[in-house]
Amino acid sequence: MVKVDFRKLAVVFRREYLERVRSKWFLIGTLLGPVFLGVLMVLPAYLSMRQRPSMDLANVIVIDATGTNLGRRVSEGLKRDFPASPSPRVKIVEPARLAVTEDSAVNAVVRKEAYGFLVLDSNTVANRSVRYAGRNASSVSDVQSLMTGVKHEILAQRLENAGLDPARVNALTAEKLETKTEKIGNNGREAGGGFGNLAFGYIIAFLLYMMIALYGQNILRSVLEEKTTRVAEVVVSSVSPDTLLAGKVLGAGLVAITQVTAWVALTLGMLFYLGPILFSRMSGDAATAGVRARAAAQGLPTDAITAALPTPGTALMILAFFVLGFIFYSALFAAAGAMVSSQEDVQQAAMPVMLMLISSIIFMQPILLGPGTTLSRTMSLIPFSAPILMPLRMSLIPVPWWELAASLGGVALAAMAAIWLSARIYRVGLLMYGKRPSFSELARWIRYAG
Amino acid sequence: MPDLAIEIRNVVKRYAGHVAVRDLSLSVPRGSVYGLLGPNGAGKTTTIRMILDIIIPDSGSIALFGEPHLTPGIANRIGYLPEERGLYKKMQVRRVLKFLAELKGVEGREAEKRIAHWMERFELKTAEKDWGLSKVDELSRGMQQKVQFIGTLLHDPELVILDEPFSGLDPINAQALKDTIVDLKERGRTVIFSTHLMDNAERLCDSVCIIAHGDKVLDGAVADVKARAGTRVVALSVAGEARDAITPVLADRSLVARADDQNRFYEIELAPGADAQILLHRIMQTGAAIQRFELVQPSLHQIFLERVGASGVEEGMSGQG
Repeated sequence: MVKVDFRKLAVVFRREYLERVRSKWFLIGTLLGPVFLGVLMVLPAYLSMRQRPSMDLANVIVIDATGTNLGRRVSEGLKRDFPASPSPRVKIVEPARLAVTEDSAVNAVVRKEAYGFLVLDSNTVANRSVRYAGRNASSVSDVQSLMTGVKHEILAQRLENAGLDPARVNALTAEKLETKTEKIGNNGREAGGGFGNLAFGYIIAFLLYMMIALYGQNILRSVLEEKTTRVAEVVVSSVSPDTLLAGKVLGAGLVAITQVTAWVALTLGMLFYLGPILFSRMSGDAATAGVRARAAAQGLPTDAITAALPTPGTALMILAFFVLGFIFYSALFAAAGAMVSSQEDVQQAAMPVMLMLISSIIFMQPILLGPGTTLSRTMSLIPFSAPILMPLRMSLIPVPWWELAASLGGVALAAMAAIWLSARIYRVGLLMYGKRPSFSELARWIRYAG
Repeated sequence: MPDLAIEIRNVVKRYAGHVAVRDLSLSVPRGSVYGLLGPNGAGKTTTIRMILDIIIPDSGSIALFGEPHLTPGIANRIGYLPEERGLYKKMQVRRVLKFLAELKGVEGREAEKRIAHWMERFELKTAEKDWGLSKVDELSRGMQQKVQFIGTLLHDPELVILDEPFSGLDPINAQALKDTIVDLKERGRTVIFSTHLMDNAERLCDSVCIIAHGDKVLDGAVADVKARAGTRVVALSVAGEARDAITPVLADRSLVARADDQNRFYEIELAPGADAQILLHRIMQTGAAIQRFELVQPSLHQIFLERVGASGVEEGMSGQG
């Protein structure tokens, strides 16, 4: 069975840990990680906020062939919704001249005098269709923002036509709803909004994936290095391969934890100290209530982020999933490294392990959208995808304790199996050079008694 | 029962297609320098790896210092220099050495003290430059070899196992290695090394074991081995112009089993039952001017050729190292 000498394990572990932490790439990665993460988190929000006003969304030509004052209404409405943008221009035309007007509008858009044009005609009044053509016609969010305004005005028009008092129509249709989300967990209502949890779950899953992939492959390279420099033989004459393998996995694992801890600390520091400055400037620029409300709804200000931070119990669970998942994957990566003796063969040997890892990340999207579906439950229970997908699910919805236990137990068993298997492959492979072993050779390696 | 550093009994190691070591038994007395000789592929490295518990024998037993070789902690008493040498390239030399020492159970501060001592002894630390602070791959090949020796000896092992230690060494390092082996012996340590270079073995070893194709051919103290081989060897030297004249005599298989032209002299192995006096008489008959005719003890090289045969030579055996 696996024999481990703890004193020597400590020596191997210390080398594996210190040599990695001392390297300049670790330092660069640790310092740049939060910048990257911060940019990843802040930039999209920042951009989406900056974009609206500067996009001159309402800089459109409204072609009104309805014979009513709908065109003017829509124009007024857009002006209200997008005060920072140049106002829309209204062209009232006879239905027969619609085609000609559209042509000139196309030219205007081509000459960049406007972003696009809206066509309101009898179909619009009949509540069938509105047409929009423009440079940003393929931007779903832009078109949606425009159309919300247009629809609102059409609705108001129809109500007025039905005989309602214009003042009452305004009062009734003024919709100023803010969306406020709240998560309900096992202990009832929990702090933190939907977006905070979503972002948190996404970041956790992504970090878990990244750390396992990066440091797992790092172990593979380190095993291969020991083989190609032939230092492996000196080392295994002093320490059993099992101890060496264990020291490697634990050493690299702690480096990954060190790095993530540093990242989290630096990122939080950045958000707490730089975040408020950034957001206050943005809000000042944008100057609209809508934008500020949106930022709040997306949970970006720091209080929402603190609210999304996990409870100690959850954090412990995530750590457990990481540790077991890391052991599972890095043991397999180490075995892959022991199987090959040149850099060229690495890709092929690591392929099965990478496939398992990538197949877990592929299911991130479906789980983000539906964390309670059968697919999500299955994927978060399968040992090789559980280490990444269960923490993701956990942060989205409350997961029953027995599912957590089954998932964690499964990963633990898989990790043990991986260690057992890898220790055998590693022991034989470490001193084997030449061509990659076939499956039957590999089976023989595994059968060699310990 | 003599005090043995290594005792191997009936060890067998089979691989998929072939037998690497076949029923090998050998004893290495404590405090001796022991040579494991044989052509490439004879099973020397496999034997060494089994002693070190890197490979597990299929059957048989191995005892080190009178204890089973799997006794915990026994690896700390052995120093090993593998044939394929290498170190962590990107690591600082001092740190590599400290790592190797600590793996052998030497406590950190003590390891540092010993590293400083050895670095100075091997001139890796001089007034101008301390190579200990450099990374391994910044060192020349010769210096890396020195670092590797130091790594083998830092924990002051009772038993030092060197696999083909002379291969790839420059003459200066080869001399340093010989000095080190002699020094180790003087301090009562046991040294076992494998080689296919018979000259080194003959000069350094107290005892040898010759193996070929996984089988032991012979073993024992070098003096005994030579005595057992008998004085069946003649060193013959004739004046240059007479070399052609004696060729027919040397080709007579009833007299001469093998004649090895060493340029300055012939090393002649007598045919079984042949008499050296008759050979001398026949050579005198050719009229050749004899400069030397001497019954000598065979060299290890001769013994090796005689016992292992030409097949050993074909498989990469090189005698005159």
